[in-house]
Amino acid sequence: MAKARTDLMQGTLELLILKTLSRDSMHGYGIAQRIHEAADDLLKIEDGSLYPALYRMEERGWITSTWDVSENNRRAKFYKLTKAGRKQLGAESANWNRVSQAISRILQTA
Amino acid sequence: MKAVIKRLFHRFDRQVIESQIEEELRFHLELLTEQHLLQDMSLSAAKDAALKRFGDVEQIKDQCVEISKSNRPMIRALKFLLVLVFLSGVSIRIFGPELSVTRVGDVLIAIAVLGRLFFYVRGLNPSRFTSGDEHSSPLKLNDNGLTFTAYDQTRRTPLERVISDP
Repeated sequence: MAKARTDLMQGTLELLILKTLSRDSMHGYGIAQRIHEAADDLLKIEDGSLYPALYRMEERGWITSTWDVSENNRRAKFYKLTKAGRKQLGAESANWNRVSQAISRILQTA
Repeated sequence: MKAVIKRLFHRFDRQVIESQIEEELRFHLELLTEQHLLQDMSLSAAKDAALKRFGDVEQIKDQCVEISKSNRPMIRALKFLLVLVFLSGVSIRIFGPELSVTRVGDVLIAIAVLGRLFFYVRGLNPSRFTSGDEHSSPLKLNDNGLTFTAYDQTRRTPLERVISDP
């Protein structure tokens, strides 16, 4: 069966990461697991795609990273939301709600 | 002090950046493999499943290295320095009393512009100009084989995608 393709909004992955990190600092695997669990397997994320997003977000100052020991006693890189990241999360969430409301309205009226 | 300097230079080392990225990705792949092993898979099947869920490791590593390179403190400091050189050049050009002094300003402006150009060209990634469609699907809706991309990394408009995608 041919796969249909379409785009989600740019920045969706960043929004999911920001939201996931808003509770706790986590390593990449933990972030991926948390998103899989929260999405209840409706969204499938190619785990590796998180990393370029994480590095870009760190470059923008939304998150910081430190090497620490993980829950299974291995060295892992943990990511934490910064103040700028929390602000970005607020802005991105508001934008997402606005756009999804607008699309819902159009779908209901059209 | 010696340890601080050593640590600072350690951070600038490209090989260190690459090995840290490799370690981070390896950690993720190992945990994914362990997760699949818990589902009574054989080791090779678990590794395959982990790689499938992870995506193209080499491409992801390259992307992370490229982003890290531009985010290194030394590079950021150099870019900031170039801005200062440019502003100094402009100031000297405007307020310099003699022709010989304004030429110093011209030289500073030229250094700053060429420096920025160097960083721009160095930062260009050839893969940005090629169509890497197979790798542009980080987000998928898990329903009826429909695949949704988070965004089109090849920067094509939806119409272009409809035209070019089979």
